[in-house]
Amino acid sequence: MSTFLENLPRTIEAKVESRKGREEPVLIQVATDMAGEDRFEQRWLIVTAKRLMVLDPNGASGDEEFSLQAVKSARIEALVGGGRLEVEREEGAPTHLYYSNSLASKFAEVAEGIEQLKKGQDLNLPHELDRTHCEQCGRRLPEIGGICPVCIAKFDTFKRLIGYMLPYRFQLALLLGLTVASSLLELAPPYIVKHLIDDVLVPGAAGDMLYWLVGGLFAIGVVEWCVGVVRRWLNVRVGFRAIEHLRTDLFKALQYLPLRFYDKRKVGALISRMNNDSEMVEDYLLFDMPYIVSNAAMIVGILGLLFYMNWELTLYVLAPVPPIIIGSSLIWNRLQRFWGRWSARWSRLTTHLNESISGIRVVKAFAQEHRESERFDQRNHALRQISVSAERSWLVFFLVTNFFMSFGGFFVWYFGGQQIVGGDLSLGELMAFIAYLWMLYHPLKWFGDFYSFMVRAFAGAERIFEIVDAPSEPFDHPSAQRVPALEGQVAFEGAAFGYDPGKIVLRDLDLVVQPGEMIGLVGKSGTGKSTLINLITRFYDVSHGRLAIDGIDIRKISLRDLRSQIGMVAQQSFLFNGTIAENIAYGKPGATFDEILRAARAANAHEFIVKKPDGYDMLAGEQGDKLAGGEKQRISIARAILHDPRILILDEATSSLDTPTEKKIQEAIQRLVKGRTTFAIAHRLSTLRSADRLVVLDGGKIAEIGTHEELMAREGIFYNLVKTQRETSAVMATSG
Amino acid sequence: MTDNGKLAITPISVTHPEHVEIDKLRLFREPAWILRLTIDGDRSYLKVKVVRAAPLSHPTRYICLLDAKDEEICMIDDLTQLDLEARALIEGELDRRYLTATIQQVNAVRNEYGTSYWDVQTDRGPREFVVQNVSENAQWLGDHRLLIIDVDGNRFEIPRLDELDKKSLAAVEQVV
Repeated sequence: MSTFLENLPRTIEAKVESRKGREEPVLIQVATDMAGEDRFEQRWLIVTAKRLMVLDPNGASGDEEFSLQAVKSARIEALVGGGRLEVEREEGAPTHLYYSNSLASKFAEVAEGIEQLKKGQDLNLPHELDRTHCEQCGRRLPEIGGICPVCIAKFDTFKRLIGYMLPYRFQLALLLGLTVASSLLELAPPYIVKHLIDDVLVPGAAGDMLYWLVGGLFAIGVVEWCVGVVRRWLNVRVGFRAIEHLRTDLFKALQYLPLRFYDKRKVGALISRMNNDSEMVEDYLLFDMPYIVSNAAMIVGILGLLFYMNWELTLYVLAPVPPIIIGSSLIWNRLQRFWGRWSARWSRLTTHLNESISGIRVVKAFAQEHRESERFDQRNHALRQISVSAERSWLVFFLVTNFFMSFGGFFVWYFGGQQIVGGDLSLGELMAFIAYLWMLYHPLKWFGDFYSFMVRAFAGAERIFEIVDAPSEPFDHPSAQRVPALEGQVAFEGAAFGYDPGKIVLRDLDLVVQPGEMIGLVGKSGTGKSTLINLITRFYDVSHGRLAIDGIDIRKISLRDLRSQIGMVAQQSFLFNGTIAENIAYGKPGATFDEILRAARAANAHEFIVKKPDGYDMLAGEQGDKLAGGEKQRISIARAILHDPRILILDEATSSLDTPTEKKIQEAIQRLVKGRTTFAIAHRLSTLRSADRLVVLDGGKIAEIGTHEELMAREGIFYNLVKTQRETSAVMATSG
Repeated sequence: MTDNGKLAITPISVTHPEHVEIDKLRLFREPAWILRLTIDGDRSYLKVKVVRAAPLSHPTRYICLLDAKDEEICMIDDLTQLDLEARALIEGELDRRYLTATIQQVNAVRNEYGTSYWDVQTDRGPREFVVQNVSENAQWLGDHRLLIIDVDGNRFEIPRLDELDKKSLAAVEQVV
């Protein structure tokens, strides 16, 4: 069933059939989750080529029907916590369909669809919307298009995690063997002690047995120690390698993911999530998994041995096991809640610390040190309170489990003692039982813990795999056309684009830019200038129409070839950690120092660079953030010059600079622009004087095209923009 | 300069939007589905949008009237300044814009791996919703007032947590 043809309830089906004509297929049928603005109820919207119907599944009071021809427009209006679809008619009141935010993207498309039908176009809606519900269990997903934490295919994830360890299968097998062996070795000492007590430590026993058994205990201790060392070493080796691979895959995936992926995610949150997730997986592979294996081996081994020694007594030993497991998992849940709160408060404390230290200038300027300290005290106090509560629960956890565990001891002493008196059990066996008892209970105590750690690690791994598996940009697509040397002709043909379906940012773009031409992009903020540039760099693909470079559809050009021939100088020049020379050579790795020098000279950067104590070897970027804005700007121009692109993008390259610096940069830009197709965005319109043509964008459309003079003569949008700017700068000049 | 030779400090005030006398506001619907506004003896607006300046802390005060381009026409400091008829019009518009549901009863809350699944009874009817990371998406608006934002950005409010029935309260406290 298509996305916009949802399954109708019976009552509605009959209504639709009776209302529409025979040869009148339904094109859109969707349900909304609100009836009016104040009730959660279903209403259905049915659209055919002829009519629109709004139907109420429980009765007919809200039913409406009107012909498509009567529709004037359909649009959505965003409200707080939801939205409404407004279908305006030529006459009469408009029809409103309210929906909650859960259905907002669906109704954005529906509005678009009604508009298309009204204009007599074919219905052209996306085939699917983002996944919001788990396909397996139908639960709402915590993140749109994300994973269902309840249903994550745990075994598959496990297999994949193991897959990262498979290159070291020999070491892995050895590790597994050693883990089991060391668990089993731990079982031996109580058994030897049993023999010691029963057979050796009796008056008149053979003396050399004592010698052998104590020697055996010593030998087992040494072997256990050696095995332990080798096991840890192997574990860390294999575990860290697997994590290294996982991180490599993750980073690569993040680098190659399309920009669209980053649109809806906060970079900080993404990074911290990635850190947490890989740390969880790391902990799991390095500590939890080996722990689980060794404990499982231990429990099986002990139970086997106990049953072998004395099955009756074993049953008494097992009696406290259910309360231990149930009790510990109950308290565990409680503990987890405390830890959740603890970490929330801890993060609030650190956020505040971070904020007030990095904003220390503001704090001091407003003389708010005292208030900041007070707020810190409050948070510190809250943290202490929760820490104490968590610690108290932790104590209870230990007391309760130990209490139940001691019951096992009582049972064994009492019933075992009876058996000894009855002559059915030896003292050595009793001592062995008591030793094994504690070895058995301790791993059981962590039962609640195992599972939750495992689930958390798997959820972390799953999120990592989700990113690793997300479709990356088609960088080296085999069918892509190689274009090693672009001419630089750029043509938009009826192109339209929106970041979100249904919200068009640019529409009806028709523009042919000749190779070597410089285009100035003008318009108020939010009119789509940066979006247009994002299309040329193919950070995004057009939604409708076509964008061609040298006559080839941009989607068919090899992305590597395209991007390697596009250069960009932005307002915020981002410099990487490294020397100035390395930063200039970023776009052309392996450039000779002579080339770097030439580029820096052309960018008017050379003169200031050589004045620095370390010259071209000076550290730039985060570590050496000692460069002024204009200096960074010139380095990034040098970077673009060395990169030698065919198509150049200047995004506010000269704003926020003082006049002498700007002159130097303008000069550098003039050199750079020569002979290259250039798109320049600038707020200060005077800087666009050298552009061959100016394109004025307004409301997502091209409003005016022409030279500076032509547009001034036209006295349209551009003329007004220039006039306002002159007035403002005149005011600034007189008042400043 | 003032008398004693010191420089007088003039208070900073904003002149835009112009101050409009509340009793000069004429709100009416014409046609019935569009709210219009006339400022007596001055100007008229064909379409008016009503928004709260501080929807959470001052829901009945500081109401902004916006024109068709979303630019502010004027602000009503307090709804009680209006006559009943105008007040009803404004409140109707506000109800249409703010779709926050009030939770009256909590049937069940299930928490699984940091995601909570809610089943509630609201003033708008029964509803199920999902909240990720409750500690981040539940906002205290007072000692007992709680606003919960679900994964889609839908809003649910509990105006007085302490007035919920025991079972509901226990369910909420289990996750918040």
